Amino acid sequence: MTILTTAIIDGLSFALPLFIMAIGGIYSERSGVTNLAIEGLQGMGAFVGALAVTLLAGVFPAGSQAPMYLAMLFAMLGGMVYSLVHAVLCVKFRADQVISGVVINILAMALTTFLTSQINATVLGAPSNKFVLGTSNRFSIPGLSGIPVLGAVFTNLYPFELIIVAVAFIAWYVLYRTPFGMHLRACGDNPHAVDAAGVEVSLVRFRAIMISGALSGLGGICFAYSISAQFSPGIYMGYGYLAIAGLIFGNWQILPTLGACLIFGFARSGGFALTQVMGLKAAFSDLFMILPYLITLLLLVFFSKSNHPPRALGEIYDKGKR
Amino acid sequence: MAEGYIVEMRHITKRFPGIIANDDISLGIKKGEIFALLGENGAGKSTLMSMLFGMYEPNEGEIWVRGKRERIVSPSYATKLNIGMVHQHFKLVSNYTIAENIILGIEPKRRLAGLLPMVDLKSANEKTAALSERYGLEVDPTRKIEDVNVSTQQRVEILKMLYREAEILIFDEPTAVLTPQEIDFLLKIIRGLRDDGKTVILITHKLEEIKRVADRCAILNRGRLIDVLDVPTTSTQTMANLMVGRQVDFSVGKPPAHFGREVLRVDHLTVKNRTGFPVVKDTSFSIRSGEIFAIAGVSGNGQVEIADAVAGLTPAASGTMILNGKDITHAAVRERTDLGISYIPEDRQSVGLVLDFDLADNLALKTYYRSPFCEKGILNPAAFDAYGEKLIGEYDIRSGQGIRTGVRSMSGGNQQKAIVAREIELESPLMIFVQPTRGLDIGAIENIHRQILAERDKGRAILLISLELDEIMSLADTIGVIYSGELLKIAPAERLTTNEVGQFMMGVKQA
Amino acid sequence: MRRTNRAKRAFLAVMGDEKRQRITIPVFAILLSLVAGAVVYLILGKNPITAYVSFLQGSGLLPKSSYAAKKSMITDLMSMLNAWTPMLFASLSVAVAMRSGLFNIGVSGQMLVAGLITTVTVGYADLPALVARPLVVLIGMAVGAAVSALIGFLKYKWNINEVVSAIMINYIVRYAASFVIKYFLADPVSRQSRAIRDSARLSLMDAPVGGLKMDIPLGIILAVAAVILVWFLFQKMRLGFEFRTIGANPKAARYAGINVGRNLVVTMALSGALAGLAGVTYFMGYYGSIQPDTLISTGFDAIAVSILGNSDPVGILFSSFLITVIGKGSTYMSSNVGVRQEIGSLITGLILLFAACGAFFRYMLARSRQRQAESERLTVQADDGEEAGA
Repeated sequence: MTILTTAIIDGLSFALPLFIMAIGGIYSERSGVTNLAIEGLQGMGAFVGALAVTLLAGVFPAGSQAPMYLAMLFAMLGGMVYSLVHAVLCVKFRADQVISGVVINILAMALTTFLTSQINATVLGAPSNKFVLGTSNRFSIPGLSGIPVLGAVFTNLYPFELIIVAVAFIAWYVLYRTPFGMHLRACGDNPHAVDAAGVEVSLVRFRAIMISGALSGLGGICFAYSISAQFSPGIYMGYGYLAIAGLIFGNWQILPTLGACLIFGFARSGGFALTQVMGLKAAFSDLFMILPYLITLLLLVFFSKSNHPPRALGEIYDKGKR
Repeated sequence: MAEGYIVEMRHITKRFPGIIANDDISLGIKKGEIFALLGENGAGKSTLMSMLFGMYEPNEGEIWVRGKRERIVSPSYATKLNIGMVHQHFKLVSNYTIAENIILGIEPKRRLAGLLPMVDLKSANEKTAALSERYGLEVDPTRKIEDVNVSTQQRVEILKMLYREAEILIFDEPTAVLTPQEIDFLLKIIRGLRDDGKTVILITHKLEEIKRVADRCAILNRGRLIDVLDVPTTSTQTMANLMVGRQVDFSVGKPPAHFGREVLRVDHLTVKNRTGFPVVKDTSFSIRSGEIFAIAGVSGNGQVEIADAVAGLTPAASGTMILNGKDITHAAVRERTDLGISYIPEDRQSVGLVLDFDLADNLALKTYYRSPFCEKGILNPAAFDAYGEKLIGEYDIRSGQGIRTGVRSMSGGNQQKAIVAREIELESPLMIFVQPTRGLDIGAIENIHRQILAERDKGRAILLISLELDEIMSLADTIGVIYSGELLKIAPAERLTTNEVGQFMMGVKQA
Repeated sequence: MRRTNRAKRAFLAVMGDEKRQRITIPVFAILLSLVAGAVVYLILGKNPITAYVSFLQGSGLLPKSSYAAKKSMITDLMSMLNAWTPMLFASLSVAVAMRSGLFNIGVSGQMLVAGLITTVTVGYADLPALVARPLVVLIGMAVGAAVSALIGFLKYKWNINEVVSAIMINYIVRYAASFVIKYFLADPVSRQSRAIRDSARLSLMDAPVGGLKMDIPLGIILAVAAVILVWFLFQKMRLGFEFRTIGANPKAARYAGINVGRNLVVTMALSGALAGLAGVTYFMGYYGSIQPDTLISTGFDAIAVSILGNSDPVGILFSSFLITVIGKGSTYMSSNVGVRQEIGSLITGLILLFAACGAFFRYMLARSRQRQAESERLTVQADDGEEAGA
């Protein structure tokens, strides 16, 4: 395998979980609720998924791939349930959405770290701060993977990559084509118009945040499988914030956000590859990780006029206010 | 009650904290008529119709629709009863097309591949186009709301009602935001709706419009129903008298003016909005001491931008402004205050006051940095308090806890009193009043008018901007009429009639 | 029904008016979290009282049953104060920005830059302590202020949301610092930056005092001074009045002649200077080194700590103290009670969560009060009835 192929494969497997978390962020923010909680949501999702696998470890034969799909399901559930905290705080309790997001991240880290250690110690009887997951199998699509260079896109795939692509397509369809998606996007622009049309704004936002939680959870467990094959507090690497950078870069639209996440993913894997090729110390890869954030910041500076956050983003919707 | 009423309101009373907005009001509206609700600001017209539209419920009384008693608990229930309302602030999604806005909430659906539900935009566009055609509304379903003007947005709101098959259409002050031509167009549409069998309720305080379209008219004053009149057979003067609740005297006893030296000179001023469009074009005028210079015009013609530019809140794109011989064109707001400009802004709550601060802080908002409030960067709370107490006494500002009252909890009238007190106390040679009486009751209005005249007689130069022509006619010494960012006519007030000013406001250059 | 009403009325009475709620609501949040924490302890079969007492013992506020050689309650207390110093600075940093209506979510990044640059410039330099320490403080403040002012400038100049730019800068800083540490400063064993010289360190570590060995945080004096200065700024100074005006209503501030743009940059610079102080008292004091690949949580915790303290310097003095006690005491609690020490951060997280609900409590209380007032008002017509509900 050439360095280039590796870079493409790794870039893709990093970009896609990032993308699905960013889509979650888009759902929440297009409905008008700032979501800085993605970092915490993905961690909580990954925790619940990993916990389910750990607890059910005896049920499946060794080497079975079923636990991984189960983990994804539970991760989505876990992220969704935990996102209710953000929903209740922002929609019902009228809390400041930025504060709520920050607090949810702090709490997620504290809660999952505590529970992981405590469950390992009391339930499983083995002091440890992580849950070990099985390794995910990988596959290549016959034929397509044989294409020179571009074939790398279809080589050595994680199963979750296909799942993410499928979920992303559904998410796109729902957001842009269905009545629910239409209500959701309207809530982020002018919630009063939605209310006047007889649609309950808080209900739409609740659902949007829950979808955001589920997708973040999915992203989190995918990272857990691809990066370390385990759940540990190391899951809080700040990729949730990178997803936010991605959706801002993508102007709160799904397709451009995919582009942003791919750029981020390839910047990272390309960086790793370059440091290898040039025989540099591993530390140099950190310099490449600066790129996504720097590019986003520069983009905001130079194109601040064409970057449009949803108009009602962050505002507390007060039904009585006319 | 008599038959044939599509809507009947019986003994409706609605209370808000500290006020009775509607006091035992009974009226009936016939199917297929244009029924106007006339009254001043705060008379309770909007409240009454908000109850018909389900935004509030009455404390007492009954609402009957089509001969059936209804409890209208929400706007969506009102919609089910085929009642629709166009609010003063439009409720539109700015990044959606016109058709998308119209179908929002009741989208036509189809199934992709016979399976996945999706919004049928094609049918939405067709239906919108058809409705627009039928009522002569002239809208293009595929244009985005953010790209169309206010008048078109209003017609989208009308289409939203029609799409929901509304039979009873409520318009809340629909002409306040429109130009004269657009008003003509709207009134034509409203007549068309009636001719199609719809019932139209028009909330307004403009007599002229009622005279032009309404069949009958209910007059409200301070929450009470005064009378219901047959419009074609009633004179405008009668309606005006009933509306205000006393003999309207348009010729307020105003002492003659004594003009002094020139205080403000504005030369070739051009102001651009955010998108670079000129909203004030090459405008020149001057104000002398002891003179009230009033700018008349329909809302949104650039008058507020003139005030903001003179006060320094909006930069001038070109032109000069001279205050007492000093060029202030590029001066900062603070510098202009120090040189002598007081400013009562249009939006008292979001610009004129800091609602979370107490009264003492708000009264010192323009002077906090001067001695004795502040010495060498350190504040002197005692000075704030003493000054606050003094102004509360002198200007009769009523508040629950004196200078410690949070301004948010004060009534609109007292909030305005606080701003006026603060700005008058600056003793500036130039005072700018923008819509100083908007939303206030008659007593408060007269009070503020007296203060404006008193300041004039002390030799201040006063720039008055108002949408109320009556206010301008009764206060101004000189009138400038603005239309589309240009001062079309500047003349001494006694040489202009209300009618002539109205002509210029509509953009007619030759009177 | 009647009973719940009475309970509600009693609750309303205890919570008090808006002024008193500034104290009662955070206290209520803290009590709620302690109760929640107690439930967790009970589920694990532990005595919550013992646990909470151990938190206090671990942070030197109550005596432990026994001490190791050269250790005592005082040494525990000093060690807690050592950890408190950066938290206090960081929370003040957040509060200064928040009072002006700005969110400084970049405190962690600003702390890191300040720590890194002072490490590189002064940390390994052969300078006398009397020169090195003031230099660390000054450079730290300057660096923090510069980074934060940049965030303010981006908002002022291009209207870039300060939360977004701060997050970007946080991660730019994090990776850049990781590179510098790994490439230039790494200690081969610990894999973090080499320990700085004692002469540059802002905490005296293991200093012998009267037969005991303790950590003495020199920065705490600065931190307490900063509390007083920030209080003075907002209560007594013209600049603070302008900050508060902008925070409460930027449009009115502009109308009043306040230079909003300039103040924005000044506020952020001030906030950043405090973040810089947090950074140097953490990395050059409490910790004495920098780990790569991490943004410490202090800057994020500080946001919630500041909320808990109503963004008021005096309130923050208490809230940051409490959070530090829980963090610092959790180690001893863990060994004493036998529950993982991570429960400390869990309780902290819960306190912050309930603190974030403060706006809701205020809203609910205001509404209940209004309802009460309304029902009384219906009988007595108010004399002042301008502006009908139109």
